[in-house]
Amino acid sequence: MRISFTARLALLAITLALLSSLASVFLIWTGIHNDAIAALRRDTVEQAQGLVAVYRHGGFPALSQAIDEARDPDDDTLILAVIDARGRLVMGVGPQVTTVQPIVKTPFAIAVPGSKPPWAHREAGFAIHRVGRYWLMTGRLLDDWEQEQRTIARVVGLSILLAIATGIVAGLLVTRFVGRRLTRIARVVERVGDGDFSRRVEIVADGRDAFDRLAQRLNAMLDRIELLVGELRAVTDSLAHDLRSPLARLRARAEAASLAEDPAQRDAALAGLLPETDSMMRTLTTLLEISRSAAMGRDRFVTIAPATLIAELAELYAPAIEEANMAFAVDIGEGVPPMPLHRELMSQALANLIDNALRHAAAGGALALRLARSPDGVRLTVADRGPGIEPADREEAVRRFGRLDRARSSPGAGLGLSLVEAVARLHGGRLALDDNHPGLAASIVLPPP
Amino acid sequence: MTRKILVVEDDAATAAYLAKGLGEAGYRVETCDNGRDGLFLASEGVFDLIVADRMLPGLDGLAMLGAIRAAGIAAPALILSALGTVDDRIDGLRAGADDYLCKPFSFGELSARVEALMRRAERPAGDGKPTRLTVGDLEIDLLARTVTRQGRPITLGAREYSILEYLARHAGQVVTRTMMLEKIWNYHFDPGSNVVDVHIGRLRRKLEDGFDSPILHTVRGAGYRLSPPA
Repeated sequence: MRISFTARLALLAITLALLSSLASVFLIWTGIHNDAIAALRRDTVEQAQGLVAVYRHGGFPALSQAIDEARDPDDDTLILAVIDARGRLVMGVGPQVTTVQPIVKTPFAIAVPGSKPPWAHREAGFAIHRVGRYWLMTGRLLDDWEQEQRTIARVVGLSILLAIATGIVAGLLVTRFVGRRLTRIARVVERVGDGDFSRRVEIVADGRDAFDRLAQRLNAMLDRIELLVGELRAVTDSLAHDLRSPLARLRARAEAASLAEDPAQRDAALAGLLPETDSMMRTLTTLLEISRSAAMGRDRFVTIAPATLIAELAELYAPAIEEANMAFAVDIGEGVPPMPLHRELMSQALANLIDNALRHAAAGGALALRLARSPDGVRLTVADRGPGIEPADREEAVRRFGRLDRARSSPGAGLGLSLVEAVARLHGGRLALDDNHPGLAASIVLPPP
Repeated sequence: MTRKILVVEDDAATAAYLAKGLGEAGYRVETCDNGRDGLFLASEGVFDLIVADRMLPGLDGLAMLGAIRAAGIAAPALILSALGTVDDRIDGLRAGADDYLCKPFSFGELSARVEALMRRAERPAGDGKPTRLTVGDLEIDLLARTVTRQGRPITLGAREYSILEYLARHAGQVVTRTMMLEKIWNYHFDPGSNVVDVHIGRLRRKLEDGFDSPILHTVRGAGYRLSPPA
């Protein structure tokens, strides 16, 4: 039969508590143990056997004589008594009435022999043997050292009992504590598994113990899962919603082409299909890129100087920017070391920002690429002198497919900034839209290397 | 001799479209619809080029390509895929494909890439590196990195020179914008603007201004071609 983990944990705790107590008990025991008690036992047994033999040979008279001879007037600890079945003293020295009960043959025992001084309050080692109708009780009161040894032995015995008890209690407590904390975590995991992604594990000790650390990790993971699931939902929603209109346009054009009588008209309608499909393809690829980058690991990063990345991109775009009659400046600040980047995605994100500026801010007449170290990290900025984005509209501008009303008339599916934001997040950074006084300064802010 | 192309594509419509288009371009085309058959056919070693879908039933396109390469078949391969993100393209190229094209694609793009791969495979190895390229009246000295047309020197910027060199190495062939972005700038994404066209426009002005005949031609719907006037 398999026992539950909790039970095993409790058993383990109990066993460990017991083992540690037993070990200390054992050490104490061996430390104090000497053979004083053992010697007393030997003497008592020998003396008892000697007197019993005397009784067998000579009966009570011989025994009485032997007891008298063995008595030592200076030694008031000696017990040499013949007692009756109820413990009353018949002959010799010993308690008037012994408190030892029942009176049976005893090779050796330790107990308080009587109820009156000097026999009370002190234990004696003694033996009891039958002699005729009576009993012979021989032995001696324990001296101080022997008495201490007895006390210690008793304490040791007690402490074993106590150890067992504390072991059990500690085991149960540990199990209960661990079990409760684990159950709390398990319950959250269960709920999340059932689809409630908003559940989080409560932090009870300010994150100082291992359970809290586990809970924090778990919560961080759940945050990420919730984000990804939310994004996935957003992607499918926007797909369904926003691909419908270009598809409808496509369908209308195809229909017009198939119905056109005049070959020239048909060719014109057919030619219109290609840019429409191309733009849809671009939208799809970008969308895929965004959701992919949100879930991507960092294993595709290469260490590259941001300055190099910007210079390469500037080289590609310089002619197009000049062609758009914009003054083009590249301003690469000092002190930005090479860092791990996804070269393609980072380039594409910056390219999107440049494309946006070309599309919406060409009238401003200037475009600048900047690389700078700022207190909050490394900024890769595309700045223009165009109309900019109102602070109130900036969040909307980043939202997927969120094209500002003003820009609805120009082509592009409006995914540009969301891709930039996704790429920034992939690098642990963010997208910042700032006022360029006038114009827009869009920056990818990366954490400092 | 007619060159043979193996098309491994499980979508019947795409396969037929490819077979028809490549057939019209003068190639002999054989198609099959799964990776195992593709591997079997390719192992015969009679094909000059393999065009394969990435996601195939039976044996995945990249795995098939790996097996073909392991069998010692060196025919160039072009992978077609519906997976169009930057990383998918780079993965495909790393897996041993010579080129990678995303679906849906324009036929112009495909045929330009097919021709480029054919040309590359035919170029005899061990011929030594050429030191000059000549296209009609245009001459490029690859060692001195100088360009002359009709004997008159033309001054080019570093990037203009590398674009011209790439075009000249594919003289007579169509070179698409994405091919140039991939090979010259090493970017695998699609910039929204006409960045490549502007570069080409500048190069063209330097090559053609003051001369009576065009040499850098625009191929509508596909790309550019460097070739002497007909």
